[in-house]
Amino acid sequence: MSIDLHAVAESIANKVKNRVDEYIVKLGVENKLMIKYARGEPSVTQSWQTLRLSLYLAKAGRISVSSFSAEKPDEILRKVLDSLELLKPSPFYAPLPEPSGENTEYVDKTIKTIVEEGDATRQVEEIGFSEPGDVAGKIEFWHLKEVLLGSNGADLRHEATSFNGYIRVFEGESSGQWSWTSTSYNPLIARKAIERAEELARQCAKLPKRRIEPGKYRVLLSPMVAGNLVEHIAMAASAGSMIFGTSFFQGRKPGEKVLSEKLTLLDKPRDNTLPGFRGFDDEGVATTNKAIIRKGVLETILHNTKTAKLMKAKTTGNAGWIMPAPFNLEVEPGDATLDELISELRNGIYITNNWYTRFQNHVEGVFSTVSRDAVIVYENSEPKYCTERIRIADTMPRLFSSIELIEKEHWPIQWWEVNIPTRISHILFAEANISLPQ
Amino acid sequence: MSFVDESVLEKAINKMLSEGASYAEARYHEIRETGILLINGAVMGVEQSVRSGIALRAIVSGGLGFASTTSTSTEAVEKAALRAVAAAKTSAAGVKNPVRMSPARLGRAKYSVAEKEPLEDIAIGDKIASLLEEYKALVPERNGFRVPNITMIYSDSVEYKVLVTSDGAYVESRVPRVAAMYNLAAVYGAKRANRFGELGASGGYERLKEFRLSEKIQDDINSLYISLVEAKSPPRGKLDVVLSPEIVGLMVHESAGHPSEADRVLGREAAQAGMSFRATYKEETIGSPAVTVVDDPTIPGSFGFYLYDDEGVAARERVLYDKGKLAELLHNRETAAIYGTESNGAARAMDYLSEPIVRMANTYMKPGDYSFDELIEDIKHGIYIKKYMEWNIDDIRWGQRYVGLEAYVIENGELGEPVTNVALEVTTKELYSSIDAVGKDLVFYAGICGKGEPPQGVPVWMGGPHVRLRGVTIR
Repeated sequence: MSIDLHAVAESIANKVKNRVDEYIVKLGVENKLMIKYARGEPSVTQSWQTLRLSLYLAKAGRISVSSFSAEKPDEILRKVLDSLELLKPSPFYAPLPEPSGENTEYVDKTIKTIVEEGDATRQVEEIGFSEPGDVAGKIEFWHLKEVLLGSNGADLRHEATSFNGYIRVFEGESSGQWSWTSTSYNPLIARKAIERAEELARQCAKLPKRRIEPGKYRVLLSPMVAGNLVEHIAMAASAGSMIFGTSFFQGRKPGEKVLSEKLTLLDKPRDNTLPGFRGFDDEGVATTNKAIIRKGVLETILHNTKTAKLMKAKTTGNAGWIMPAPFNLEVEPGDATLDELISELRNGIYITNNWYTRFQNHVEGVFSTVSRDAVIVYENSEPKYCTERIRIADTMPRLFSSIELIEKEHWPIQWWEVNIPTRISHILFAEANISLPQ
Repeated sequence: MSFVDESVLEKAINKMLSEGASYAEARYHEIRETGILLINGAVMGVEQSVRSGIALRAIVSGGLGFASTTSTSTEAVEKAALRAVAAAKTSAAGVKNPVRMSPARLGRAKYSVAEKEPLEDIAIGDKIASLLEEYKALVPERNGFRVPNITMIYSDSVEYKVLVTSDGAYVESRVPRVAAMYNLAAVYGAKRANRFGELGASGGYERLKEFRLSEKIQDDINSLYISLVEAKSPPRGKLDVVLSPEIVGLMVHESAGHPSEADRVLGREAAQAGMSFRATYKEETIGSPAVTVVDDPTIPGSFGFYLYDDEGVAARERVLYDKGKLAELLHNRETAAIYGTESNGAARAMDYLSEPIVRMANTYMKPGDYSFDELIEDIKHGIYIKKYMEWNIDDIRWGQRYVGLEAYVIENGELGEPVTNVALEVTTKELYSSIDAVGKDLVFYAGICGKGEPPQGVPVWMGGPHVRLRGVTIR
């Protein structure tokens, strides 16, 4: 899709600027190619070329947010502008901040070409996705080009690429799943995920299957599982979650110890190896790498200018016009190898994948999540048998206060259950409550 | 009605066919949405969106390709057609089992859902005023109990589609919908709890009044009060349990509807939404003869309403569990071809960015003939679970867990003291086999069901009557 984004964004800004006090125009072209696999073969290949316009408007304290994919937005613009006159001033309103953001660009030319031409035949062959045989999953190539213009003077550009995917390998009745994510094309990173999924499937296929009893267990969580759970921790640290009443950090202040001192969780928008990389947020504010949790202490509540005003804080450059959010997550690695973690697991359970994390009580962090794929039970640090589809039914604060060890190797993870690109390691927990149907 | 130059869709079909496609499909898909966010009675902001574009699918040499474009110009759509064909060829390079489309009753039809009060005629200021009235009717505090966070979201949408396929389908549709969601975070002393609620239906603005939103929210506030202030820990162990329609609806969606999706059974969603126990289950029986579960997109006013699916196939009721026996699967044309049957019209796509995949619409358990009093009258010691606060289910839809927010002990056929945190964790077979009596009531609940890659959320209803379970384990 060939389009002068800046010129189109400017023309839209010109159409709204005389009718509002403040505006931000965010206009992007997203090109994406995804090859989806099932039963060891491609089930569908999907190609997207999408123009997206998002608009923030404010007038006399009234706020409107809108988004369109339409080519000719004039009629819709008129409607949005007319609607703005009918709103009431929002207590959420805060003036747009000074635009401190920087232009950012990290473009892998191979990925850009793939999504433009819609052809990844050579890369698919190079990755060897279906080599393990019975596999399912996806390979995705993504290119985003975006401009942000604002009445606050913001005039910013961002361009980035992503290569990500995940694979589930079946070996008889056993399976293993792993994922990868990166801003550049590197078949080795995908190969490593494929090998890990294959290894887990084969390991479980060789071991006997046995049920376990519900109760408290030492657990080793893979980067896939730990990545899913820390995403919930990061979102609980969003001021939006606190305002909406869905945070288990509600009422907690920066500086308070909330989780294990072994946990340091970072938001890293300036890390150009992870696809959430960018130099400005949706208000044009410069993004910064920051600790959300440092050594178990809540260090940063994520803010935009609106939540910051409500909570008497400063923006952290994490806008979202409504909901502040992290860009890339990283858990600081420990110094143990995976073998050492398994050795320390002693008698416990290695859970390699999960889904369906649900909270019965957001504000107290009471949740359960269901395992899928390989669940390996260790006795005296030896894999003895595999079990399946158990639940961790615990509370976030309790579970993440029981961290014993963190692996030193980092895995870049992003998949269905880990939306935010996350670099994370295996984590050993002293105790998790495990439940399952009798 | 016509929302797009239909010749563009025909041109896309012709382009895909001329480039070697054996099947081609073009869908113009437009969704106009309005959302209002209210926190503690203050209008935080308004969100409006228009998602519109063209989705194309092609089969080339047994490979399936999908492409979409936001531009509806002939040039852009023909380029997208080439991308769909290129995508299909990428698939074809690795395909071992060629994709085919089953025979089906393809529609040539136009339909629209009537609105007594058209959504587009109601000014946004009036919608805000209605929502504020609903908020003002709430009583969020009593006896030291309070609900400091009340988040309310109103949304409405109008979905327009025009679908054309190379084998003769032509369907135009217009479905308006109204929805309301809310989250309540309650506090009593050091205890906290929250409750999320969702209401949805197809139709015009009149639907909002029918929701009786403030009554529903107040009822949930009362449930939080009971849970935090009055309720005790439940009895544990093997008990007789009565489940409310809210829990039955969720249950049939999760462990009857999802495992009956043929693409899950075949493994097409194996790495995402998972598979189905029906792929390896050898028995014919899944529950007691009291259990019949159906999915029906054609229920007037329903959130999951449609008359033709997104492959142009006429919709109808599908019987998933029939008197305790496994019955139909939900099919699109691709899965139906593999099973050597006809599609039963379950293909749905969220928007123009989405391929049509096998989905539920309105899934519910058929009512029986018991009144609520009759269901509990011979229970000596049991539990009635009225509302849930957490649930999940494994990726083959076998092991599931529902945790009750508001529940009551049943003693000698009568409701007793309130209890909370009642965890029912059972397998699908245990659950449906333990049902010995089904109520004569029927209530539907709205939800957005997620599946696919990229994830697609589509509106659904789920429902049922009260049911009685004998001897299930409560934790």
